[in-house]
Amino acid sequence: MKGGYTGKILRVHLTTRTIGTIDTAKYEEFGGGHGIGSAVFFDLVGDQLTFEAFDPRNLIIMMASPFSGTFMPGSGRCEVQGMGPMLYPVEWFAHSNFGGRFTAQLKFAGWDGIVVEGAADEPVWINIVNDKVTIESAKGIWGMDTWDTQEEISRRVMPGLKYGEWAELARDQATTQSPAVVCCGPAGENRSRLGALLHGPGSQAALCGFGGVFGSKKLKAISAIGTGDVPIADPKAFMAARLWFRQFQWDVDNPREAERFGAGGPYALISGRPSGGNVLNRDLPLTPARATACASCPRGCRMRLATGDSNESVCAGTMVITVNGSVKFTRQGNDLMQKYGLGHWQLMPLLSYIDALHKKGILGKGKQIDTDLPLDRPGTFAYADAVMRAIAYREGVGDDLAEACARFAKKIGRYDQDVNDGTLSLAYWGTANHYDPAIEAEWGFGSLLGERDLMLHQMSNYPIHWMAWSGDPYLTAEEVSRLYTDAMVPYQGDPFMVDHSDGPTGIYSDSKVKQVAWIKHYEKFWVGAGGFCGWRWPMCITNNTADRRGATPEAEPKFWNAVTGDNRTFADYMELGHKIYTLDRSIWALQGRHRDMEVFPDYVYDKPSVGHDMTMYIDGQWQYAKGTGRTLDRAKVEDFKTRFYKFEGYNPDNGYPKRDTLEKMKLAKVADLLQKRGKLG
Amino acid sequence: MADDKKALNTEAAPKKRLSRRDFLVTGGTVVAVDALIAASPAAAAAAPAAAPAGSSAAATYPASKGYLVYDSKKCAGCTTCMLACSLVHYGVQNLSRSRIQIMQDSFGKFPGDVIMAPCRQCKVPVCVQSCPVGAAYVDTENGNVRRIDSAKCIGCRTCLRMCPQQPHRTVWVTIDGKGKSSKCDLCLDTPYWDEKGGPGGKQACVESCPMKAIKFVAEMPDQKETEGYDVNLRNDHWYNLGLVDNSTVEPKRNPVWKVGGGE
Repeated sequence: MKGGYTGKILRVHLTTRTIGTIDTAKYEEFGGGHGIGSAVFFDLVGDQLTFEAFDPRNLIIMMASPFSGTFMPGSGRCEVQGMGPMLYPVEWFAHSNFGGRFTAQLKFAGWDGIVVEGAADEPVWINIVNDKVTIESAKGIWGMDTWDTQEEISRRVMPGLKYGEWAELARDQATTQSPAVVCCGPAGENRSRLGALLHGPGSQAALCGFGGVFGSKKLKAISAIGTGDVPIADPKAFMAARLWFRQFQWDVDNPREAERFGAGGPYALISGRPSGGNVLNRDLPLTPARATACASCPRGCRMRLATGDSNESVCAGTMVITVNGSVKFTRQGNDLMQKYGLGHWQLMPLLSYIDALHKKGILGKGKQIDTDLPLDRPGTFAYADAVMRAIAYREGVGDDLAEACARFAKKIGRYDQDVNDGTLSLAYWGTANHYDPAIEAEWGFGSLLGERDLMLHQMSNYPIHWMAWSGDPYLTAEEVSRLYTDAMVPYQGDPFMVDHSDGPTGIYSDSKVKQVAWIKHYEKFWVGAGGFCGWRWPMCITNNTADRRGATPEAEPKFWNAVTGDNRTFADYMELGHKIYTLDRSIWALQGRHRDMEVFPDYVYDKPSVGHDMTMYIDGQWQYAKGTGRTLDRAKVEDFKTRFYKFEGYNPDNGYPKRDTLEKMKLAKVADLLQKRGKLG
Repeated sequence: MADDKKALNTEAAPKKRLSRRDFLVTGGTVVAVDALIAASPAAAAAAPAAAPAGSSAAATYPASKGYLVYDSKKCAGCTTCMLACSLVHYGVQNLSRSRIQIMQDSFGKFPGDVIMAPCRQCKVPVCVQSCPVGAAYVDTENGNVRRIDSAKCIGCRTCLRMCPQQPHRTVWVTIDGKGKSSKCDLCLDTPYWDEKGGPGGKQACVESCPMKAIKFVAEMPDQKETEGYDVNLRNDHWYNLGLVDNSTVEPKRNPVWKVGGGE
């Protein structure tokens, strides 16, 4: 058995209540995480596509990676895959992921992942204690919020566990740790398409509605705890790599240029400093708090507070609800979202849309869409609770709102109007606008050519975006363009990959084609298969080194090879990412994806951008410029897509993968099925 | 393992040596230990001077020349230290094998949401004192570090029961299919790390902790309570991140965002 793997994937069929295993070795060529998940999905249900996300045939696949359970920095996220009920117009085969310590405990228990099939006839949860796996009744738990669920399950798994003491799971199986539980809340139980999965108080698998899929399977939770070993192929090399990585970390005792990077502002997001992710504890007087990390993460972007609210929530998890005049109630309002199990990145635009409809006189008491919700009291805790409760329990208009933004708008007959004019800014596949596709084009293209919002924060636009917005960028536009792209193996040396102008070397260029391909390949292998945190990796630049070079691309293979015993290069693994992306696109093709569907809504093409400072090459000079007023050009976007499909080995007429591309990747059986369905490129 | 190391327990503290067979025949762990220990473990550990329990000799234990202190308010709970410990000693990653334990309650309130539990290298090492076969010992050739020779350990768990700390700092591990006791050796014996450990050397947990929340010190901390070990390792750079442990503290630099807003 190779290092990093435990050798088996848990397979649970809820309809038949059977428990089995899949040999990990069969799928090791896909790396781990997302790669293995996609391959398992294709093998188990690929030939049955298509069906609905709430169909019992849909799978919940939760994969760890070879890094899970190790101290690989910023790894260990749990990749969740299956058809996503939130996505629109098709419930694409999709992914979400969450941090915390779930995959670590799963690995210590001896499992590389979990595949859940079928649906139970009554509420259940899955209990994993090392190699002992049982399907338990969720009686008394079904109906609980996500926090109570986790604490109750912990009590049931380890009734004798006392915080701060050792407990024995069985003879010679001792631990001081508590079970790691992931669950859905009331939203998921009621098949809300906003239903998220929660682990801990704030770790969400927010996108795609997998909480709703849990609910459709009458699966309340999965708990894992273990005491076993994660094997490491070369322990000495792994330890050396971990200590080598320290140079890229924020030095907590003596940070480089502390005045510049440690004073809050946008650098709190990109400097690698602890605690910058919780935005609800930065006003004086401060609430005492610690920086809190997911398993193995040297950054610790979260907080746990003396008040116990907003614990472990980060970024959007602390920003959906605002209670006027009270940071405390704002924190608790966001915690309500976590407890109901509502996905933040879908709830946020939905609340904005509710407000917009209310202001237009369409939604409200006695209005076209009649509701008793206190829409005239936004900014109150009562409003936040009432709206979220209605969505989570499908009460009143909440039943329609629980269909998530796109389907709700469709149901009330306003989708085309409101999405195309930007009132409801769903930029891609029913997920909310994030970074402006007209300026930070790689985010838009990367999402459009995927199945949901990209949500990969360290890809090129993000560190550049926030560095520029600081008003004090630590690199000039020319420097960052060169440094960033130097790290983008195997396409390194082309600075125009991060040119955000709309000139000949800009957002429609062949350089941008390479950059988007790089993003998709990195997303699929390192982030997806490796379980990397999108807020940590890739690290092409950093403020924490003298020369501003980040750990990418040296770190990734250094760690991977030490853990697994493989001996491949960064470029080799990126090609594996290409393979995984191609497999995903094949599954989407089976679900009906065609290049004609890969278009932005009208507002992205027609509404002038407010712009944002980004690296642009204009008149022969690199500079930070905004691009204010820019719109995307439809014909140029289509031409970009044509060149992208060709670059990736897909048929530009339809976007389907070609047989020779698939066969080179040893995916001939995928080509066969595509051909059978008339979807081969 | 350090089979050949001088073990104060067995060499400097005369007492009846029990073989595994003898030990088991006497009726089990607690009975045997009770016969060997004159005082409660907590009392023994806190005693100003101590002799090996059960011994008439008044031998004292030389103080360790190294200790791990820590800052439980600085710890981020990433468990990197635990995994580093497991890796350098056993070549695998496993929290249960770690000789430093970090426990946390995600739903708890700071600062009680994290407990750090490294070995204290006690002035009066009850693990050494109570071990019936001399597997636990004071390594006088290596800075008087309190150690356990797992090869000699008979698996009686006495040291686990008698450690006065909660959780006990002796760690139960499986070696070659057998349950054994182990404990922090300040990285004296790290088959999977080529650095010199022990007093004057490096410790894997100290080196790997990204928050620098663990520190090696040569001076013995106050033994009475946890305060001697759980110390403040934070400086202004930490507070300036807005991470205060007292709401009256105002960082020298305001952590409030000055530009734009959140994402």
